[in-house]
Amino acid sequence: MNNIAIVGAGGFVGTSLIESMVLGGNTGARAVIRSYRNMAGFCRFGDAVDVRLADATREAALAKAIAGAAVVVNVTTGPPAGIVESTRAIYNACRTAGVPRFVHLSSAVVYGDVEQPIDDDAPPLDKHWMPYARAKAQSERWLRTQNDPDLEVIVLRPGIVWGVRSPHTLGFARSLARKSSFLVDGGAHVFNGVYIANLVAMIRAACDARGKVAGFYNAGDAERVTWREFYEALGGALGCDPAQLPVVSGDKFPWSTGAVIDAVQSLGPVNALYHRLKTHIPDGLKAALRSRLEGAYNFDRHATTYAPTASVDRELWHLQRVRHKLPVKKFSETFRFVTPVSFPEAVSRTLAWIESLGLAVEKPSHSVEFSKASNE
Amino acid sequence: MSVRTIIVGCGAVAQRLYRKPLAQLVKQEMLEVVGLVDPAREHADAMLPAFAGARHFATLEEACKAAAPELTLVLTPPHLHCTQTEMAFAHGSHVLCEKPMANSSAECVRMLESARVANRVLAIGMIRRYFPAFARLRELVQSGALGPLQSFEYREGHKFEWAVTTPAAFRPRSKGGAGVLYDIGTHALDFLQSVFGELAVQEYADDAAGGVETNIAMRLRSADCGGTLNLSWDVPQVNELRVVGATAEAVLRIDRFDQLALGRRGAFVPQPIDVSFPVDLDRNAPRRLVPRSYADAVLCQLVQVLRAIKFDEHPAVDGQGGASSIRLLEQALSKASPLPEPWLAPREQAAAAQLHRSGA
Repeated sequence: MNNIAIVGAGGFVGTSLIESMVLGGNTGARAVIRSYRNMAGFCRFGDAVDVRLADATREAALAKAIAGAAVVVNVTTGPPAGIVESTRAIYNACRTAGVPRFVHLSSAVVYGDVEQPIDDDAPPLDKHWMPYARAKAQSERWLRTQNDPDLEVIVLRPGIVWGVRSPHTLGFARSLARKSSFLVDGGAHVFNGVYIANLVAMIRAACDARGKVAGFYNAGDAERVTWREFYEALGGALGCDPAQLPVVSGDKFPWSTGAVIDAVQSLGPVNALYHRLKTHIPDGLKAALRSRLEGAYNFDRHATTYAPTASVDRELWHLQRVRHKLPVKKFSETFRFVTPVSFPEAVSRTLAWIESLGLAVEKPSHSVEFSKASNE
Repeated sequence: MSVRTIIVGCGAVAQRLYRKPLAQLVKQEMLEVVGLVDPAREHADAMLPAFAGARHFATLEEACKAAAPELTLVLTPPHLHCTQTEMAFAHGSHVLCEKPMANSSAECVRMLESARVANRVLAIGMIRRYFPAFARLRELVQSGALGPLQSFEYREGHKFEWAVTTPAAFRPRSKGGAGVLYDIGTHALDFLQSVFGELAVQEYADDAAGGVETNIAMRLRSADCGGTLNLSWDVPQVNELRVVGATAEAVLRIDRFDQLALGRRGAFVPQPIDVSFPVDLDRNAPRRLVPRSYADAVLCQLVQVLRAIKFDEHPAVDGQGGASSIRLLEQALSKASPLPEPWLAPREQAAAAQLHRSGA
């Protein structure tokens, strides 16, 4: 499929989608970005990418930027306060520009900890402590109320997008290298993830599909993987044995000063103010503040000892409490989709990437041991 | 007596890096900004409030004729550096030219020759020479504190954050752009050469596939030891320079001004960082500053250029030093191969290899 306009193309999902299109020989990747600096990730493809400037919350500018596209893909990131606004603006811009298909990326986080088995068409949770989850849920609910027969809306709901360039994965890798990670209930619960190349393949399938395919779809890997298995897959190359990490109970969140600050920051108005301030603080000052807040720097790239107790991040604690894997059967059947990258292969590729960043303690083995995976 | 100065190029570099320290030097009557040169009037207007007496000029030639500058700050895209520097010298001005010095060694030769003919100072803007932890590492390595050198590893990468106003920065070099090699690589290679002496490129790979490179990897060799350099515009790296010697290892944080440690695995000791630079024009007992910010570092760099003009002192990086980095960049590109990306599917790796440097 040609002529795909990617709104938010400067982020890691957008960059990976462009990479897949260009290296797959597709012409017509159009990057819609807010600022020219967001070209840095995909400028290596030069003129193969058509770049247009538009703020994702400005409907008129967007309509101009996406005019003539066959599909618009929304992979924007940014402050939670802008998520609903940008979803509406992109949807309306598609209508104005006469774009027939809109692929919107929501998030599995709209289902919280997935306490019960759930299907793709279940409505998002009404309440969630995390502003990002609330905004994604609100966007989904709003899209459900739209019914323009000339605009087909496909909502993909990925879990943790992991692998190459993923900020989440980089965070996991760094905390494993520092031996400062933790496992909730021993890592027994579900790692609801989707490897980046699998997500990109799903987005492309949603763009390319013929016929009526509108709807809401979970997006995940084929296998059911636990957090322990995920950490074991990455840990060896990072010098970390997950069996030695602190175990945290999943029954009750262990509050700390940092967690209280997070909770206050997650309150709607406080969160909006925080992101507004963040936008207006110069990058240099932001970097200085970040490095002041990070505490003492560990000049050893790989810690020599394990942290006796864990500093528990609330979001990660919840992600590690997920009880059920979100099914991807609906997507597979509708789009006749076969997940292209298996979990072991995805781990192997991710380790190769981590090694390229200088984080691996030794050259990772490309034959990753993986015993408990099972296809759905 | 304050030095009559013009600023050529009033975009992001001028506004974000130079405005504040220049205003400080104006206040101290060490220099006077008399001209702001930029074809985009709005860029110059953004600088005007800081420099009350300055006039806007659309071209450098007009500015040189009307303002008779003693010092010209060339802060434009690299493909303009050579001709603008030559013009400034032709009008008798000294020049501080931002990095990279030029687009090619041939241009560097022209710039050096015009500086020689005009008998004027040519300094290259490399503010990292004024980061105190960087300067301290250089002292440590050169004093032999690490023992005989064995290897070094330099890694720097983060999401590109400059608020560029046009896409030119990401276009081919001939059109005023630069990939990560000419952007961060210029700093890295200049600093590594200042620490280890002259370097040679043994291997170089990048991911340019129709455009400019976003990620690079390089293997280098000095007279004493070998090392690697990895740079990225789209992935955060560990942002460290590790130097391994026979008796100790040093770790410098690339993203900080003041963090350097010495020791061995499991026993690194943070080093006191107190390297200072002159910030006035007193020849004998200059007031000194330990830079703690980009603005401080630029201030020290500007003062050093003024001292080079006034006392014939050496700028931290002169034209020869700037040209040496450009030669190394060219050496790297002459050995360019596709950066291994084993995380891509095999057919994608093949496509990337086929497109490699096709847009350069």
